[in-house]
Amino acid sequence: MKSQTIATDIELESSEVATRIWDNNLVKKLTAFGQSSAFTLGGFGILLLIWYIISKITTDALPGPYATLSVLWEMLKDPFYDYGPNDKGIALQLFSSLGKVFLGFGLGSLVAIPVGIVMGANAFCKKLFYPIVQILKPVSPLAWFPIGLAVFQSAGTATIFIIFITSLWSTLINTAFGVGSIPDDHKNVAKAFGFSTRRYITKILIPYSLPHIITGLRLSISVAWLVIVAGEMLSGGLGIGFFVWDSWNALSLEKVISAILIIGLVGLLLDRLFTLLEKRFSYAS
Amino acid sequence: MSYVEIKDMEIAFSTPRGKFIAVKNINLEIGKGEIVSIIGHSGCGKSTIMNAIGGMVTPTKGTVTIQGKAIKGPGPDRGIVFQNYSLLPWLSVYENIFQAVDAALQTTSEVDKREIVEKYIRMVGLSAHREKLPKQISGGMKQRVAIARAFAINPDVLLLDEPFGALDALTKGSMHIELLKLWNLDNRSKTIVMVTHDIEEAIFLSDKIVVMTDGPSATIREIEDVHLPRPRNKKDIVNMPEYKTIRERLLSLLMDKVEIDATDFYKGPKVELV
Ligand SMILES: Nc1ncnc2c1ncn2[C@@H]1O[C@H](COP(=O)(O)OP(=O)(O)O)[C@@H](O)[C@H]1O
Ligand SMILES: [Mg+2]
Repeated sequence: MKSQTIATDIELESSEVATRIWDNNLVKKLTAFGQSSAFTLGGFGILLLIWYIISKITTDALPGPYATLSVLWEMLKDPFYDYGPNDKGIALQLFSSLGKVFLGFGLGSLVAIPVGIVMGANAFCKKLFYPIVQILKPVSPLAWFPIGLAVFQSAGTATIFIIFITSLWSTLINTAFGVGSIPDDHKNVAKAFGFSTRRYITKILIPYSLPHIITGLRLSISVAWLVIVAGEMLSGGLGIGFFVWDSWNALSLEKVISAILIIGLVGLLLDRLFTLLEKRFSYAS
Repeated sequence: MSYVEIKDMEIAFSTPRGKFIAVKNINLEIGKGEIVSIIGHSGCGKSTIMNAIGGMVTPTKGTVTIQGKAIKGPGPDRGIVFQNYSLLPWLSVYENIFQAVDAALQTTSEVDKREIVEKYIRMVGLSAHREKLPKQISGGMKQRVAIARAFAINPDVLLLDEPFGALDALTKGSMHIELLKLWNLDNRSKTIVMVTHDIEEAIFLSDKIVVMTDGPSATIREIEDVHLPRPRNKKDIVNMPEYKTIRERLLSLLMDKVEIDATDFYKGPKVELV
């Protein structure tokens, strides 16, 4: 009799424990999510407050949050309008910029990845090209613009050129590092079993360096997105960078600030996209 | 003439602190179909000697020949089980073996290669784990994949660097049997060189046991011939006088160091008991 009671007691207790653990997990996840959201909102709250105070101090020389956000809302309400070459909706501007960014970044990667592989795999090539990389990497995109104009005779192409030339370095360096750090263990497998160059590249070199290459691409796309605004300010035409310049000329700081918010958000999304790819292709050995 | 011949071999590595001689004055003759074990304390250059036969490192002095021909790099006539398994982490168990087979056996048809891979996965008992990645299997299972990979290319010389080290006693026993089965199937024509720390394993499997001195500049201390009759049976051989003699000899060659280790252990930091 007594033992039975104990048994049921234990059973009761354990089922209670089970539900509690389950609840705990859910609660933990929810609180974690709630906490990070609260921090994000808190941060933005502080930013809005500082923004508000500065705009008050400068007697609205810097437009306040409310004025700006209502302009932003107007922009987002009809993002696809098209009133001729100099007056297009924000989405059309954004797509134009993204198109140029991906073109320049894509071409840059097409050059950077093979060159990076060669530099990483071959000490001679590395010694030959690394100084060039080090000298060209820190050059400002703006300095490349005249070269692009001179060579291509077109401002649009010159913009793509400066994105190409500034975004390829991170990918190149990361690829070279990845390929250069392939462990001897992996190389020994290729050696011992007589892998052909093709098999070595597809089964060892690429899989091992892929996470490094994607990290390089992630850094490169942020540079490309950084450069597009400057490039379009110089080149004119359509795009988010030119939109900023145009709004400044039209004395609409609300639009400038709205564009900055959009630029930041798109940059964040691009970064997240490549972070996802990074996670997808990373392996733990 | 012996099948594998190592003559006056020295292997030195250039390190940031200058030339480091790992092994020197190595002379070893291995007959075709012999099973030879190399035994010695860690760091004495066992892996280095294996790598020299495998063609992964080049001797700085002396020669290594197979059938009278100097070794120029690795080749599919020699299958290597590396000490650290060396599996490719992004390939499944099956693909790890298949890629090696596909690369090494160039004249075999695709269908035959697939069949060979199947056969050796079955042999090491990993059929159920074929699609798993190396990180999803235990150390012992990784070792079995590495063994299957080396066996599957059907080499004349098998180089096994501590191949059974990570296996539990039972699996180890059945791998010993598999190894000997393979060797018998091939009319004992496969030459096998292996590194081990296990004295019983060395006596059970080998025709010759090479005992190394301690490194650096290690060399061969003694070569024991094992004349126990084959086929051997673990239960029977332990009672044979020759088994006992060899075991005693190996223990005394390797033990002095172990005893020092044991005293060191007792001299280690004392734990205060409250
Ligand atoms: N590539 C290398 N470069 C420098 N030193 C090495 C290299 N490979 C091995 N050694 C050294 O040679 C010695 C023998 O190594 P190894 O053959 O791996 O020993 P064992 O397999 O007997 O444990 C060790 O002292 C090791 O540090
Ligand atoms: Mg070793």
